[in-house]
Amino acid sequence: MTRLLREHPRIDVEMDADGRLVAIRWNGRREPVEICNRWRVEESWWRDPIARDYAKVVGERWLALIYQDRIAGTWHLERLYD
Amino acid sequence: MSTGRGDVDAAVAGLRARWGAAAPSVVGALALAPVPAEPDETPRYDPRPDDRVIRTGFAALDAILGPGGLPKSASVAIRGEGTSGRTTLSLRVVAEAQAQGSVVAWLDLSRSFDPVEAVARGVDLEWLVVITPASLDEGLSIAGSLLAGRSVDLLVLDLPGGRLARTDKPSRIGDRLHRLAALARRAETLLLILDAPGLGSGLATAVAESTGIRLELARRSWVRLGRDVVGQRTEALVAHNRHGPPGRRATLRILYAEGGERDTCLARDALLMDQAPVHEAPDREIHDATAPPVPATPAASPRTRPTLRALPAPRSARTGRSPLEPGVGHRRRSERAGPRRPPRDAARERTPARP
Amino acid sequence: MPLGSAHRLVPEATFIDPDPEADRGAAEAVFEALGRSSPSLAGSVDPRSVSFGLFEVGIDGLGPLWGAEPVLAERLVDAVTTALPGEVRPRAGIAGTHFVATIAAMVAEPAAPLIVPAGDEAAFLADRPSGLLTTDLDVRARLTRFGLRRIGQVAELPMSALIARFGEEGGRLHARARGQETEPFRARRATKRLALALPIEPPVEDLEPLRFVLHRLVAGLTAQLSARGLAADRALLALELDLAFAPTGTEPRIEVEQRFPEPTADAEAVERLLFARLERDPPVAAVQRLELELRGTTPAAGQQLPLFVPQAARTARLDWQLARLALTYGEDRVRRVAIGDPEAPLAEDRWSWRGVGLGSLGPEGST
Repeated sequence: MTRLLREHPRIDVEMDADGRLVAIRWNGRREPVEICNRWRVEESWWRDPIARDYAKVVGERWLALIYQDRIAGTWHLERLYD
Repeated sequence: MSTGRGDVDAAVAGLRARWGAAAPSVVGALALAPVPAEPDETPRYDPRPDDRVIRTGFAALDAILGPGGLPKSASVAIRGEGTSGRTTLSLRVVAEAQAQGSVVAWLDLSRSFDPVEAVARGVDLEWLVVITPASLDEGLSIAGSLLAGRSVDLLVLDLPGGRLARTDKPSRIGDRLHRLAALARRAETLLLILDAPGLGSGLATAVAESTGIRLELARRSWVRLGRDVVGQRTEALVAHNRHGPPGRRATLRILYAEGGERDTCLARDALLMDQAPVHEAPDREIHDATAPPVPATPAASPRTRPTLRALPAPRSARTGRSPLEPGVGHRRRSERAGPRRPPRDAARERTPARP
Repeated sequence: MPLGSAHRLVPEATFIDPDPEADRGAAEAVFEALGRSSPSLAGSVDPRSVSFGLFEVGIDGLGPLWGAEPVLAERLVDAVTTALPGEVRPRAGIAGTHFVATIAAMVAEPAAPLIVPAGDEAAFLADRPSGLLTTDLDVRARLTRFGLRRIGQVAELPMSALIARFGEEGGRLHARARGQETEPFRARRATKRLALALPIEPPVEDLEPLRFVLHRLVAGLTAQLSARGLAADRALLALELDLAFAPTGTEPRIEVEQRFPEPTADAEAVERLLFARLERDPPVAAVQRLELELRGTTPAAGQQLPLFVPQAARTARLDWQLARLALTYGEDRVRRVAIGDPEAPLAEDRWSWRGVGLGSLGPEGST
């Protein structure tokens, strides 16, 4: 079961030298993470285009679903597994 | 379980003779519910003699609670950090309660309720009301009104974490929680409070003091399918229990069914690997109702690494989806090549109650 | 009777040319006046009708609104007197059946309504002439031939004997003589509009006294609904404001339409919902008149049996409470959920919020 954070809060991410995601920062806390799954979603290109790169990440405390909004360049937290 | 067609016809004819146009119409799916080809997660209506208890959906947890579940007039706090399974457990309780004929209200203070996920856990949206208050204060007022009106049988208070949970007057909130618990007792309504991570100590104390049962959940390991994390093992501790013996523990195994081909892999225990610390002895594993049925093969010991089968190579993406790295796991809701168990349309597929 | 014959019989009489339109207008005026006290009226405005001049008023449930029956009768008599030109002295009778009320009105003194207590109908009729039981001259003659000159004598006979002599009409004679209803109330107009209003003197600003007036209006109208086996699905509440101390630009009349979660004649549920609406949107000035109309009337449905779903028995109660909560806290606070496309790629497109019966919302609203 996942919790859907309806407002998709923005998060900060950390990348290593090779550009791999290694940690996320949310609500003032840093959580080292590992990517366990990834995919891309592109929708509604004819009106308000949506282009997101999703990543399922696992950390010490959380299993979560985050995405990068490729149009805005921002990272967001969409779901928390609980 | 199902009655013959003749019995149903006779019953409906009797109703029509008495009530005329007001008699319920028989819809085929209600009168003759077919036995599903695959076991599903929706709890069946089961009017057991002791209807003062709502089951949790986890037999192991029911067994250690004392009365075989959560008493209807109890106030229960479920606490857990991070991905502990609090929400899954709560939704299972909701589904069980609805199967027993309950109407449920979910106070979504954390703004994170996902109805699609809830339906996947067996929740019937027809008998669920979602309240989204603007503040904790407003949420408690609405909760009080619902309890005083005796309109619901289960009220879930999903407390927010972080900033939204801060309050200048934790003692006042504590008083209100006590009053809510008293109202719930009088109304014989089960009050379920989800303790959020990051709850202020004042509020956390208030929750602890106003509840008669406190469950503490702690994730012990992840369950992996290849590199993907597809579930978890969670230990549930009955930290406090006015209705039975405290201090008992049970292990819950929770698998995240997300649809598609991957779910069939979840049924194959040999493919799954528990990522548990080596030094920790595993508790007796109990497969919970959320997991697909386990085939009749010995469960893999968490200390051994089972042989991994080769996963099918990703197919070309349908519109809107593309693999980023070929060969990496199954995509969430990828192309629907395999049969997907549809989420329940609660309005149409409600399992009929047994008379 | 030719006019000449009448003149010979009563030389001192004044004969006026008939004016059917004026008579019809007068009758309409009387119905209009009576309609301010009760929405249930019967009678004819056709001067050629045998019952022209007889106005029937249904008073079920009006006690809490206008007072006890003597007070109510006085009010109705005053309404008729005011509506008609000249010095009219109407006579009024109140009873539990159409027939008994009509007889009571016939024998009452002007301006002295005659009230027949419930249960005393047979005793009231006993000594009256049996000819009053029917307009059929042949039946009247036969009753006299059989020696049944008083209504009480007819009432004492077994029904079977009267049926044997008079057929089906004998059954009606028997019931009528015993004070039982033989003619169901047929309202003059279909009960499409049920409305009542009360002046408030002095005007009130607080909600509690306003609730007291609302209670009376709701009780009166819902009793009318119940008596006719009807239910309403919405209410129109109109508040007339006293502008003496109101802010500039205040509208003198506020109308509030409130839908119900389901058609109902439940007074308590309607009152609580409407009061919740007033609490949410209180009037900005003192209220000097409150009018309530119940709309969307339909035959009340039978109670649904919770045959297959245990929760169904509690749906109505829950829906009303949710409606009140939605009014109090906002319709975006109390909602249900509907799954749209669970396969939609974006989470936000998979489901939507649904209102609790007071008006559906569209796609997911902001929270």
